[in-house]
Amino acid sequence: MSTVYLDHAATTPLDPRVREAMRPCFEEQFGNPSSRHPLGVRAARALQEARRTVARALLVEPQRVVFTSGGTEALNLAVLGIARAARSKGRRVVIGPTEHACVRGAAAALAREGCDVVQLALDSQGELDLDDAAAKLTPDTVLVAQMLANNEFGTLYPVQRLARLARARSPHARVVVDAVQAAGKLDCAPAELGVDALAFSAHKLNGPKGAGVLALASDLALEPLVHGGGQEHGLRSGTENVAACVGLAAALELAENEREAAMRRWRELRERLLAHLAKLGGVRVLEPGSQRLPSIVSILWRGAPAEVRMHHLERLGVFVSAGSACQASKHELSPALRALGLSDDDARSTLRLSMGRTTTADDVDLAARAFEQVARELEHVVR
Amino acid sequence: MSEPTAIAPPSVLLVRYGELALKGGNRGEFERTLMRNMRAACAGFADVRVERERGRMFVFAPSRLESVARRLGQVFGITSVSPAWEAANDVESISTVARAVLDDALAALAPGARPKFRVHTKRVDKRFPLTSMQLDLQVAERILRESDPIVVDLNRPELVLGIEVRSDKSYVFARRLRGPGGLPVGTLGRVLCLISGGIDSPVAAWMAMKRGAEVLYVTFHSHPYIGDSAKEKVVELVRALSAWQPRSRLYVAPFADVQVAVKGVGTNGTEDSYRTVLYRRMMQRIASRIASAENAQALVTGESMGQVASQTLENLTCIGAAAELPVLRPLIAFDKQETIDIAQRIGTFALSAVQEPDCCTLFMPRKAVTRGRIEVCEDLEARLDVEGLVASSVARAERIDLD
Repeated sequence: MSTVYLDHAATTPLDPRVREAMRPCFEEQFGNPSSRHPLGVRAARALQEARRTVARALLVEPQRVVFTSGGTEALNLAVLGIARAARSKGRRVVIGPTEHACVRGAAAALAREGCDVVQLALDSQGELDLDDAAAKLTPDTVLVAQMLANNEFGTLYPVQRLARLARARSPHARVVVDAVQAAGKLDCAPAELGVDALAFSAHKLNGPKGAGVLALASDLALEPLVHGGGQEHGLRSGTENVAACVGLAAALELAENEREAAMRRWRELRERLLAHLAKLGGVRVLEPGSQRLPSIVSILWRGAPAEVRMHHLERLGVFVSAGSACQASKHELSPALRALGLSDDDARSTLRLSMGRTTTADDVDLAARAFEQVARELEHVVR
Repeated sequence: MSEPTAIAPPSVLLVRYGELALKGGNRGEFERTLMRNMRAACAGFADVRVERERGRMFVFAPSRLESVARRLGQVFGITSVSPAWEAANDVESISTVARAVLDDALAALAPGARPKFRVHTKRVDKRFPLTSMQLDLQVAERILRESDPIVVDLNRPELVLGIEVRSDKSYVFARRLRGPGGLPVGTLGRVLCLISGGIDSPVAAWMAMKRGAEVLYVTFHSHPYIGDSAKEKVVELVRALSAWQPRSRLYVAPFADVQVAVKGVGTNGTEDSYRTVLYRRMMQRIASRIASAENAQALVTGESMGQVASQTLENLTCIGAAAELPVLRPLIAFDKQETIDIAQRIGTFALSAVQEPDCCTLFMPRKAVTRGRIEVCEDLEARLDVEGLVASSVARAERIDLD
């Protein structure tokens, strides 16, 4: 059975070109970058090359690229590190309405340390509410964390405008952007976005798992989370995962080079998919906000829990993700779903289809046929 | 204070087993099973040797004594385990070792602690020139003479220095690690446990094992209404329970067709409310078939009286009536917290606590019956191809063997 993978927003397959770039690190180039002998020097050179590649893509200085174990660590380092270093300047921490658990968790840790954590709101269109933000950005705000592209719907949030607002109202505030879904799809240069720090991970752009970056736009005060040998400019100690860093750099470079073409292709595939879905009864496409990533399609498919649809589709080789979990009593609905004003039942009937580099028109057609079959199969059960 | 005598570290575990020694006629078989289970439990350790000699078992594990001792803490039938030092069969040698064992035991206590102690000898080899009591006295005298001040208390000792005199050598020990008790797994035959990802059924399985039953498992999996991670959760639970018996076998019986068919019986008040009881009756039937094929003599469930609204006496009766074998319910009189306490102790609680949907909302009744009646169950089942559904699930059940 051929499989159709439509869950690229969760993770992506490793690009063979990335694997090839990493290969020497698993073989002859195994040195510790801190070693002074030639093996170490070669590893250090590979690491620095990877750093320069990332710096070039993001238009930052190489010494402001911090390699981490992934997006979660990069965002923890940014949120905790900035707020802790700025303790004397203020205690307010502002986070976006739909932040990933790693940002919410880090903010909750700051709240336990005495910070005053507030969350931004979405308006009824699912757009970031900038009037509300203006009111929440106080002079004692030291940190603003906001995602660039939403993982459920692909909604793009107006980070530039939020950053400008923060500059004007909160002189001490540093703006951190979660670009995990956006990296490789949009221009993520911190200078262009007007932000201080930006984080993403390699595995969402056909790179390896276990690699992430925190890119800093300026020399900002940051308290490290991991102490030790002083690697990564003292911000992230521990022997560097050279292979993963090399893989991340290769993946980012590929994604940047192919960005325009990929976006064009996703827009076409999206149209094709929406046309198929329109023929299927009871499906509503959820498109909150004014702009979205074309690669993510979120649908409300009434009549059965999303989990049931998902597992029926997987039997036909089509892998998607359920927008929200099955048992409402145990799982909170996401704020982004809630902002759409959906009933609990509807919220539990949303599926996310996300496309990536390997998605083809055939995939979309096969998926559409699987959708029709699942609709028929479930007809008699859901009566 | 004199320097502690340098002797080799303990290299053997003295293993005591209680209850089974009482079971006259079956004793030989019980001991053989226990030895087999002990060997299986220690299979991951390279240089372990298990031997039996007159009502005791010895586990020689020169390189990993502590880990092997801990492992034996999960072998049913064992009441206690003592890491022991070897001594030659003469008073001088035994006394020297006894002093070192005492020093070792004191080193584990707070500095300066002087527990009341006694010596307790058991002679397996009665040819030894001294009686047990004479040896007690001589060893104690030597300790009192050579060690820092310490008090003997024969009635309420805080530290017992044990000596076992056997035919070729003697053993001295001070620590007694408690074993799990119970009976060796396999000595009471074989049962099939209906297991889910919940907290109760793994505990029920463990309790059946504790009383000597070899436990096989069946779980019911409603793919594609439920994801395979629900099945993996049960596999993980069975793996955790595998620490308590030599090997485990799990059947994963497909259940979606049964649920679809039962829902298809109808959606009026009665039809809807009996759904849960009907699902469970089907589970008993499928489990009974698998049990028979595996020569299991009973089913085991995690049911407890009244723990949830559906586990009323009436419903338990309706459900049990569909079984073709006796149904054992070790948790029948347990409160939830009592079950949780055991689950925590045996290492299944954290696995059960992982959030994982295990039944699909599509199949849940709006309101489940609390006082089910068998006649009603049978009336509703008359509209189902019970035999066909059971046979199909049994035939398609996946078998997973875990060592």
